[in-house]
Amino acid sequence: MTLLILAMSFSLILTGCSSKESGANESGSKSKNGEKVVIDFWTFWGSETRRPIIEKIIDDFNKSQDKIEVKHTYLPWGDVWTKNLASIAAGNPADLIINDINAVGHRAKNNQNTNLAKYLKKDPAVKDRFFPELYNASLYKGDPYALPFNTDTRLLFWNKKMFKEAGLDPNTPPKTWAELEEMGKKLDVKKGNKYERIGYLPNQGIGADVWMINADGKGYWDFDANKAVINDETNVKALTWMKNYYDYYGDKTINNFKAEFGEQTADPFVAGKLAMTTDNANFFTKIRDYGEGMEFGVAPLPEMEPGTGNESWGGGFVAEIPKGAKHPDEAWEFLKYLTDVQAQEYWAVKNFDIVANKEAAEKASTSTEFTEDGKKVYSLANENMKQTLLTPTPIEAPDYINLIQPEIESVLLGKKSPKEGLDDAQKAVEELVKNNK
Amino acid sequence: MIQMEPKILGKSDIKRNSKHSKTMVSLQRKEGLQGYLFIAPWIIGFLFFLAGPLLFSLYGSFTNYNITSSMDFIGLDNFKKMFTNDPIIWLSLRNTLYFVVVSVPLTTAGAVLLAVLLNQGVRGMRVFRTIFYLPAVLSGVGVYLLWMQLLSPSTGLVNTLLGFVGIEGPAWLTDPSWTKNALIFMKMWSVGGGMLLYLASLQGVSPSLYEAAEIDGASTFRKFFHITLPMITPVIFFDLVTSTIGAFQIFQEAYVMSESGDGGPANSLVFYNLHMWNKAFEVFDMGYAMAMSWVLFIIILVLTVFNLKLAPRWVHYEGEDQK
Amino acid sequence: MSEVVQKRSGTQMSEVVQEKDNYFKSLRFKKKVGQGIILTILILGSLLILSPIWWMFATSLKDMKEIMTYPPTFIPKEWHWENYGIALEKGSFFRYTWNTLFITSFVVLGNVLANSFIAYGFAKIQFKGRNFLFAVVLATMMIPGFVTLIPQYVLYAKLGWLNTYIPLILPAFFGSAFFIFLLRQFFLTIPNELIEAAKIDGANHLYIWWKIIIPLAKPAIATVAIFSFNGAWNDFLGPLLFLNDESMYTLQLGLQVFKGQNDTQWNFLMAGSIMVLLPVILLFFFFQRYFIEGMNLTAGSKG
Repeated sequence: MTLLILAMSFSLILTGCSSKESGANESGSKSKNGEKVVIDFWTFWGSETRRPIIEKIIDDFNKSQDKIEVKHTYLPWGDVWTKNLASIAAGNPADLIINDINAVGHRAKNNQNTNLAKYLKKDPAVKDRFFPELYNASLYKGDPYALPFNTDTRLLFWNKKMFKEAGLDPNTPPKTWAELEEMGKKLDVKKGNKYERIGYLPNQGIGADVWMINADGKGYWDFDANKAVINDETNVKALTWMKNYYDYYGDKTINNFKAEFGEQTADPFVAGKLAMTTDNANFFTKIRDYGEGMEFGVAPLPEMEPGTGNESWGGGFVAEIPKGAKHPDEAWEFLKYLTDVQAQEYWAVKNFDIVANKEAAEKASTSTEFTEDGKKVYSLANENMKQTLLTPTPIEAPDYINLIQPEIESVLLGKKSPKEGLDDAQKAVEELVKNNK
Repeated sequence: MIQMEPKILGKSDIKRNSKHSKTMVSLQRKEGLQGYLFIAPWIIGFLFFLAGPLLFSLYGSFTNYNITSSMDFIGLDNFKKMFTNDPIIWLSLRNTLYFVVVSVPLTTAGAVLLAVLLNQGVRGMRVFRTIFYLPAVLSGVGVYLLWMQLLSPSTGLVNTLLGFVGIEGPAWLTDPSWTKNALIFMKMWSVGGGMLLYLASLQGVSPSLYEAAEIDGASTFRKFFHITLPMITPVIFFDLVTSTIGAFQIFQEAYVMSESGDGGPANSLVFYNLHMWNKAFEVFDMGYAMAMSWVLFIIILVLTVFNLKLAPRWVHYEGEDQK
Repeated sequence: MSEVVQKRSGTQMSEVVQEKDNYFKSLRFKKKVGQGIILTILILGSLLILSPIWWMFATSLKDMKEIMTYPPTFIPKEWHWENYGIALEKGSFFRYTWNTLFITSFVVLGNVLANSFIAYGFAKIQFKGRNFLFAVVLATMMIPGFVTLIPQYVLYAKLGWLNTYIPLILPAFFGSAFFIFLLRQFFLTIPNELIEAAKIDGANHLYIWWKIIIPLAKPAIATVAIFSFNGAWNDFLGPLLFLNDESMYTLQLGLQVFKGQNDTQWNFLMAGSIMVLLPVILLFFFFQRYFIEGMNLTAGSKG
C-alpha cells in the first residue's frame, strides 16, 4: 500500500512541481571564460525556400563572434507553439522562438515571454528600427515582449490583359469600392449560367475584417477605447457591401469558387479565373512562378469612399525569448542581429517578405536581385506599410474571433441580415469580455 | 465471481477440514497472486506514467491553470461556466454526438462486411486485403490535405466520380450541412483498419459449424446471421466500445480541414475536442479545458457502462460465461 | 458398382446420376456465381479505395507548375520520378527511417509481450478486484489525450527523459488499455478446458501463457503487432514533443518540412507520404498469413 502511495505521489510531485514556476532560471548561466554559449532557436522554416536563408543568417552571426553559437531547430508549422508552451511549463524552453505578432500581449499576460525593457534601456536605438505599427504590436503594458521580424500587407492585383479585353484602361485600377464592384462586373465572363471568369470576389485572400478596417481604421475592436465595435455603422456597411456580391453571384457560386481554390494548390487569379484579387505582397511570388508571364498591376486597396483612406491589414511574426529561457542575454544579442539591417535585408530579398526593419525594407525595394515587377511590388508594399494596421488579440477576449466568424458566415450564407449578425456578434463578445473579468 | 470459501461450521469441523480448506485458500491466494503478477506491468505503468498527470489534471479542472503562470483554486467555477456561459460548448457536443451516432454503426458494419467478403477465399485475396487496408495506414496531415483536394466541389475526385453516376456532389467542406458528412465519408474510406480485427476473429469460427449448417441447407444469409455474427460478437463489442470512445474524441481532422482550424464553416466542425483545444492552446485557459475533458470522460464512462451492461444479452463467449 | 447392377437399373441409374449431376452443377454453379459477385464487388471497391491513392501518386510525380494549374490534371503531363529522390534527400529520409524503425521495433515488441501478458491475467486468472481493475483499464481509454499532454511532458522533463527515445518506447512495455481490452476479448474465446488440462499436467500460468495461449491467439497477436507498428510508425505528437534534436526526428516529423504556411510543396509531401507508407503496407502484405492462419481450436476441442 505504502509503495502505491509513494509511486503516485512521486509522479504527482514531479508533474505539478514545475508547471507553475517557470521563470526561475532568468539569471541563466553566464558563459565560463572562453566557453561558447549555445542557444536554442526554434523556427518553423524547414522548407527549401526558407531554411537555407535563415541558416545563412545564423551562420553569419556565429562566424561574426565567438561568444555565442546559435543552434537552429526546425519544428512543424503550428505545432511548434504547442511544444513551446509545454516546454515553458516544464522549464526548458528554447532561448529564442519565432511566434505570431498578433498575440504577443496575450502571451505576455500569460507569462510566456520575456520582458525586453531592460535590454532596450541599454540599446534604445533598437526600437526605432521598426515600422511603428509593428513595434507597437509587440508591446504589453508599454513594455516590449518581442521584436518584430517580418510582416505582410494586403494589396490589389489586377490582370492587365483582361482589363484591355474588357475595354478598361489597364493602368487605372479601381480607386473606390464602388469602382471595384463596377469594374469587376465588367470583367465577368459568363457562359450560359456558369461563370468562366469572375472580375472580383471580396473574400479571396482577404476577409470581412480587412474591409472593415479599410473603411474606418477599426475592425472588430477599438484599441483606443478598448472595446468591441463589431456592429458599428461602417462595419455594417462593409459587411453589406460584401453581402451584395453574394446576392449578385449567388452564394453557391462564390462558395464553390472558394472551395475549389481553398487548398493552396491552384490560385484563381494565377489560373485566370479571377481578374482582380487582393492578397499579400508575397503573393507576387505565385504570379512570378506560375503566372506564365502575366502582365499585372499592383496598387493599394481601394477606399470605401473618396477620402476614407486606403488602410490595409497585415500580420507577421516576431522573435521572442520564451519565459524561463536559460540564456536570455545571449538570445538578446542574436535577436538584435536578426532584426538588424543586414540580416533583414537578406531575408527580404531572398524570400520576398516585407521585413520589420524599415531601412532593410527600403533597401530591398531597389534590390538588383528582383525583377522589375518584383521591385514594383516590393516598393509599393514598403510604401503601403504607412497605412497598414495590425489586429492584436484583445487581452480581454482572446478567442473573440470564434464568436464573430460564424456570425459573418451566417450573414454571407443569407441566414441573417448584416446588422443582425453583427449585433449578435457584438453581444456575444461583450458577454465574453464580462466573463473574462 | 464466486469465492469458494468453505463454510465455517464448528471447531471439530474446522479441525477436520482445516487441512483441506487451508489448501483451498492457499491455492486461491496463489492464484490471486499470480493474477496480480500478470497485471503488475499495467499497474506500475499506470501509477508511474498516468496517475500523476491524471490527478494533476483533475485538480487542474478546479483551478484557473494557464500552463505557465497561474494555478489558483477556483472551486466549481469552470464547471459553472461550462453549463451557463459557454455558447459554443453545446453546439460542440451536438456536433460530436452526430458524428458518433452516424459514423460508429456505419464503420463497424462496414468493417464486418468487408472482413467477411475478404474471407471468402476468392482468388487474389492477399492483394485485395492489402488494398483495403491501405487507407488505414496512411496517416498524418498529408492525408487530410489530400482529402481537401479530393472534396473540391467541381474538380475534386469525389464529385467527379459521383458525377459519373449522375449525382451532383455538394460543396463538401464549405457547405455547413455537409462538412460532418465529409469527415464520415473519409472515415468510411479507411474502414479497412477495423476489418483487420474481424479477419482475425473470423479465423476462430470453426468451419465444421458452417459445414453442418450447409448440410442442413442453410443459405448464405442464415449462415452469416446465425453462425458468423454470434461467434464474432466479442470482437464486435470491443470494436463498438473503442470506436465510440474514439469517435467522441475526434479532433485532428476538423482542425486541419476547417479554415484556420476554427471548425468552420458556421461552426459545423466544432467538435468537443476542438473547442477544448482552442480553450487550452489559444486562450490558454487550461483549467477550463481540463474541466471539459473530465466532463467528456463522465459522458463516455456512462455510455460505456451502459454498453457493458447490455453486453451479456448479445455477446457470446465460447470459452466461458463471462461478463 | 457392379456391372450387373448398373445394367439393371439402366435408365434409373442414369436418371439418378443426372439428378446428382444437376444438383452438383447447381451448387458449384451457385458457388461460382457467388464468387463472381464477390470478385466484382471487391474489384469495384478496390478501385474506389485506390482512387485517392492514385491522386497522391499522381501529385507526387508532377512539378509544382502543373500542381498549380487549374483544372487539376488526373494524369501527370510529365512524370518526374526524381521527386522521390529529392524528397528522400530533403526530408533526411534515410536517417529518419532508421530512427523510426528503431523506435517502432521496440514498441511492437513491448506491446506484444506486455499486453498479452496483462490480458491473460485479466482473462483467465481469478483474483480479487479483477473486474474493478479492468474497469479502470477501460476508463483510461476514455480520457482525452491532451489534458495529460502537458503534465506528462513536465514529468518526462523532470526525469531527464526529454530528447531521448525513452518516453516513446518505455510505456509500450507497460501495456495499453486498447490492446489489453482487445486481447482479453480474444483470450476469453479460448476454452478454459485447455487451461485446466494444462494445470493438471502441472503447468503454471507463465507456462500456459507462453506455450499455449500465445500460439493459439496468433491472429490476435498479429493484429496487435500490426496496429502497434502502424501507431508507432505514424506517431507524430510523441516525437514532436519529446525530441529536440533534429537528428533524432522520425519520418512523420520529417515529412512536415514540405508543409508550409502557404507554400506547401505538394509533390514532395505526397512522394514522402507514399514512401512512409510503403514499409507498413509491405509488412502487412507479406505477413497476412499470420492473421489468417486459423486459431486451431478445432484441432483440440471442437472436432
